[in-house]
Amino acid sequence: MATSTSTEPTSASWWNYFFLYDGSKVKEEGDPTRAGICYFYPSQTLLDQQEFLCGQIAGVVRCVSDISGSPPTLVRLRKLKFAIKVDGDYLWKPLLSALEKVLGCAVELPDVSCKRFLDQLIGFFNFYNGPVSLAYKNRSQEELSTEWDTFIEQILKNTSDLHKIFNSLWNLDQTKVEPLLLLKAALILQTCQRSPHVLAGCILYQGLIVSTQLPPSLTAKVLLHRTAPQPQRLPTGGDAPQEHGAALPPSVQIIPVFVTEEESTSLCEFPAGQMTSSPASPARVHNGSAQHTPKGGSTLALHENAGGHVASMAGVSATTPEPTAPDEAWPGGRRENGHLLGHDLDSAGHTGLHESRSLVTELGLPQGELDWSEIHIPEAPEVGTSSGHFAFPSACVPDGSGPCHKESVSDPSSPEPSPPEDTTARSLLPPSAPEMLTQDGAPGLREDPAGNSSQAPVPRGDLHCRRTSGPLSPPHLDPGQGGSELPVGEQGTGRCVDGARESHAAPGPGCSPGLANCPGTGPSADRIDSRMTPAGCCGGLVRMNLYTHSVKGLVLSLLAQEPLLGDGAAIEEVYHSSLASLNGLEVHLKETLPRDEASSTSSAYNFAHYDRIQSVLTANLPQPATLQDRRFLQAVSLMHSEFARLPSLYEMTVRNGSTAVYACCNPVQETYFQQLPPAARSSGFPSAQDGAFSLPSKARQKLLKHGVNLL
Amino acid sequence: MKCVLVTTEGAEVLFYWTDKEFEESLRLKFGQPENGEEELPALEDQLSTLLAPVIISSMTMLEKLSDTYTCFSTENDSHLYVLHLFGECLFIAINGDHTETEGDLRRKLCVLKYLFEVHFGLVTVDSQLIRKELRPSDLEQRVQVWERFQSLLQTYGHLREQEQCFAVEALERLIHPQLCELCIEALERHVVQAVNTSPERGGEEALHAFLLVHSKLLAFYSSHSASSLRPADLLALILLVQDLYPSESTAEDDDDDAQPSPRRPWSSQNIPVQQARSPHSAGPSVGSSAETQTDSFSLPEEYFTPAPSPGEQSSGSTIWLEGGTPPTDMPQIAEDTLQVLAPPAPAPPGPRRIFLDASMKESYCPLVPHTMYCLPLWPGINMVLLTRSPSTPLALALYQLLDGFSLLEKKLKEGPEAGGALRSQPIMGDLRQRMDKFVKNRGGQEIQSAWLEFKTKAFSKSEPGSSRDLLQACGKVKRQLCAIYRLSFLAAAPGRGGPHLPQHLQDQAQKFMQEKLLDWKDFLLVKSRRNITMVSYLEDFPGLVHFIYVDRTTGQMVAPSLSSSEKTSSELGRGPLAAFVKTKVWSLIRLARRYLQKGYTTLLFQEGDFYCSYFLWFENDTGHKLQIIEVPVLSDDSVPIGMLGGDYYRKLLRYYSKSRPAEAVRCYELLALHLSVIPTDLLLQQASQLARRLWEASRIPLL
Repeated sequence: MATSTSTEPTSASWWNYFFLYDGSKVKEEGDPTRAGICYFYPSQTLLDQQEFLCGQIAGVVRCVSDISGSPPTLVRLRKLKFAIKVDGDYLWKPLLSALEKVLGCAVELPDVSCKRFLDQLIGFFNFYNGPVSLAYKNRSQEELSTEWDTFIEQILKNTSDLHKIFNSLWNLDQTKVEPLLLLKAALILQTCQRSPHVLAGCILYQGLIVSTQLPPSLTAKVLLHRTAPQPQRLPTGGDAPQEHGAALPPSVQIIPVFVTEEESTSLCEFPAGQMTSSPASPARVHNGSAQHTPKGGSTLALHENAGGHVASMAGVSATTPEPTAPDEAWPGGRRENGHLLGHDLDSAGHTGLHESRSLVTELGLPQGELDWSEIHIPEAPEVGTSSGHFAFPSACVPDGSGPCHKESVSDPSSPEPSPPEDTTARSLLPPSAPEMLTQDGAPGLREDPAGNSSQAPVPRGDLHCRRTSGPLSPPHLDPGQGGSELPVGEQGTGRCVDGARESHAAPGPGCSPGLANCPGTGPSADRIDSRMTPAGCCGGLVRMNLYTHSVKGLVLSLLAQEPLLGDGAAIEEVYHSSLASLNGLEVHLKETLPRDEASSTSSAYNFAHYDRIQSVLTANLPQPATLQDRRFLQAVSLMHSEFARLPSLYEMTVRNGSTAVYACCNPVQETYFQQLPPAARSSGFPSAQDGAFSLPSKARQKLLKHGVNLL
Repeated sequence: MKCVLVTTEGAEVLFYWTDKEFEESLRLKFGQPENGEEELPALEDQLSTLLAPVIISSMTMLEKLSDTYTCFSTENDSHLYVLHLFGECLFIAINGDHTETEGDLRRKLCVLKYLFEVHFGLVTVDSQLIRKELRPSDLEQRVQVWERFQSLLQTYGHLREQEQCFAVEALERLIHPQLCELCIEALERHVVQAVNTSPERGGEEALHAFLLVHSKLLAFYSSHSASSLRPADLLALILLVQDLYPSESTAEDDDDDAQPSPRRPWSSQNIPVQQARSPHSAGPSVGSSAETQTDSFSLPEEYFTPAPSPGEQSSGSTIWLEGGTPPTDMPQIAEDTLQVLAPPAPAPPGPRRIFLDASMKESYCPLVPHTMYCLPLWPGINMVLLTRSPSTPLALALYQLLDGFSLLEKKLKEGPEAGGALRSQPIMGDLRQRMDKFVKNRGGQEIQSAWLEFKTKAFSKSEPGSSRDLLQACGKVKRQLCAIYRLSFLAAAPGRGGPHLPQHLQDQAQKFMQEKLLDWKDFLLVKSRRNITMVSYLEDFPGLVHFIYVDRTTGQMVAPSLSSSEKTSSELGRGPLAAFVKTKVWSLIRLARRYLQKGYTTLLFQEGDFYCSYFLWFENDTGHKLQIIEVPVLSDDSVPIGMLGGDYYRKLLRYYSKSRPAEAVRCYELLALHLSVIPTDLLLQQASQLARRLWEASRIPLL
């Protein structure tokens, strides 16, 4: 049976069992239940007990499906709860126990979280091993049991109380990291993205997310990889990896992985989507000001110009070697781009200049960039002048094509000669930097202004880009196949113009500047093909390659399309383009981080701030939880379920005999706050003097320094 | 899609209720009867077949894991199953239409269990005897029993959705002090005293009398010798009355509902039941049940052989099915006739045996037999009289003995120590003495032999029985005690021809009250719909949309009227606004309960355009606010918070009093709905002013 590889029998009190049961093997009366048990955790459970649980639960699941027409997703007992997933004949069930109910402070895991844990676990398995049924067909049970063991061990090891409630990812406390380092990480990812095949990636440091371009579900899976050493095995695909595996540097690993179709779509949409979404809010701001200030005096123009730069910077990149792109503004940028406008930049701006330059050189960004901008100069002003100031901005912004038009508005009026650079830099560089940095969620950034009702954190701009570039505008695509980056860039801006013109009719092209960022510069056509023809697609999963490069505690993980494995040149390109900067980043992180960890002292309040989009948690809860902390956790767990259930629930204060907890929530974030030590006990009779009701204002005030803005 | 099922461990159906949709889904599952050659199994058999795996699995789990299922939910909670084990009976509630939450379903099960207790008293203690009550072997009787509870469940569900007093589970008074006083006086002199001084009452003693206008309490009077009636019991009685005489609004609302979603014509079901019950209640049924009783005690196995035999059973059930659910056009007719004929009900249901908690001779005794006479005055206005028979001391004695044995049983289950140690238990001596005396006085062969068997096992020095033997013997004695209880109070129930007040005494009281209230009748009916109006609060509390104030010590609530129906409308009219506010209030009640269950006594949240707040606090008698305590945190599968299914607030008060033994503690709740434009501090100020004002109003004596 399942061979237990977990060194110590991890007796997590909240996770009692997990099992995979194949009902198709137990059909006849005489079939023993054990024949259907594919995997059971903990493996030391007596076989009789395993059979008992599997048999009973499977029976109940079948019975409920008979009556209701759909299987139960949750089966609760007095002391345990099972989340259940049925996949054909397979039944997955981890049994997550609700803790003892006697003690008032025991934290019971909400039902929602139980279900998500199961999803997560199955997601891990699928990611590394492909669809369950297929995996069990091709590989031995023992081997797969080892895999399950690893995943479970990982989940158990990594999960604190709060993370359990939210099923959140593990990230660096970004308030404690030099913002420039975060930016640098983001830039490394962007650089890698430019290599062929590479779609998106993330950078982890000691198991914590430094920067990610991936949707949370994928980041979670990639996170797991670092301590899940992949045994040398033949992937179902073929022996290609072996050949190349030999050629790979020791710190680099490429393995085949499986992503869901949804994830794959969001990955392929990734780069351009960012373009459209990120600059949206500044674009709006700017458009407003542009309309009010027609070509006026130099001061006005300057002012406007400053705004323009800020916007562009916020939108895309501080890498533009351009004097007015103030990197220093980034810490501020963590809040909202809108805040960056205006004069505080002027002061901050110039100090940042230096670093931004050095960063660029350090990262070894392709010089081609500058060349492109030269080429675009003639086009950009034309756009600006021809389309005019007033007609387009208002018309186009709703279409999500903000960036292009904004440029066209602001650039001509700018006295500086650099606007075209602005344009190109912006269109060339993937804009993920702000995305990564704004972990705390300025809503405007992540809500897709184009109105794409995409749930994925990465807006779908590129989807349009692709779609339109296919059937609608083949001429644009053609130069792209030449393999030279130059025409693609041109195409990007060219289409941008198109977008401006067609913005009413077709919202899609408006997003197209991002096309230049489509990582597969040459073989972009291939990529489309590979998506259309699901070569590596099996059971709703799409095959991809996971490239990991570890530098001590730092891991760069990139998801790439399958050809990467066979494309030695591409691998080399990725490797060399990132090696130096990864080393640098690792050194910097090592220098800055440990110092900060020591500085966690007990504070006068507990808080938890959950980013619903990125599934990232910020909190100050000390690990050995005190009684008050557990009370906080209990309240959080309850209210979290409430927020999940009632979308119009906005603010909530609850109070029991010992503590009061305030929570507020909007579509992108949830925040919880508890004051320590608790105020003196009141009577519970409604009273404005009651401390519980002053929590909202306290939360607003105290959390500001953690970068949580509740205003 | 709703269903409620009560079964034994062996999946024998003790009771079920389904709505039309659920029945329909069952029909689809089992297919149409093909060519008529094979009849469909009866609904109860279909249910037991379908749910048997769950029932059996939950029993197996209990045995092997000492844990059992409490809830299943499918994707998006589109289907919810709630399971609750009471003794050896498994209660299952299913909902497939998102209209009920887990809490609602569990509450429904607990209320059903409570209704069983109200109807069968301590017989519910013994699983075999209650099985016999709920599933009489006589099909006609079974149909009657099930229909009664089906109808009660339906009525309960309706009231819970429509009436605030059932939503928060508290009594709602009709606020009219002058009239109230008048009525109390009439109840005292002309009802209770008139009955108690009549020589014809035959030992029956009138204890309580009250007047109801729809589900609101107009006046309540208790005789001096009576112990106080629990608010929970009173609310249950209101439920019974509403079930017997659905007030026009309920009937009418039901009519409304019937059009969009075909509801089970529950009110029409009442009629055949009622008619069927009263005529032949006297003779045959008593005889037959008495017969079976004597048989069953000697040969219980034979009586309880489960397995509905296919022949007789299924045909019988189909007959019942046909009779019980008439074609869809029937309810209309039935309801019409009901409304027309209601005043002097066509065949008024006779007095009912019910079991209510009381304190007797300084000692508390649950489930004391009473007789309930429901005397309708006009549609919507009813008078209820509760009497106690002279045999009540027996109930107390039986309860004390049963309690003693239950305690013993618990001790035996806990510790392995058998016979010898048992004898030294202090409760044992007392119990033995009382039991000896009881057996001597009451004779009865079975009880004597059972007691003898127990005594030899427990007290003989030569061979002290093992604790399992003792448990068995203990169980036997308990069963015999329950059997006596059943024989004395259920078999000889007033509905089955047992002693009750002569009809003319009832008529006399009814007539008197009718005369007394004739001029007030129409006023009362309107007043009950506009009991308290929000308008009177708007000036002082701008931004306040609605509130509910509950004194949990007396179990009474005050709230502006919300209910609207075809003829009457609330202040908010009948349109979507009224419905919207109502759903908000109901969801606030739900959420407040959920958080109270988890120990939170204060709740303030903003949802959409409203601020919802909930406060629970304690006071002493003088109105001084007491410090809040940590309220116990309960698990999801605990008995829901409320009065009807397990009196949470009584327990809470007892819990609080432990820390303040010297003081009388009172518990209050306030739920308020404000517009969200109101700043929080103003909201709090209003809430506290409102609570003060309502508190002062409640100090004005109404009784």
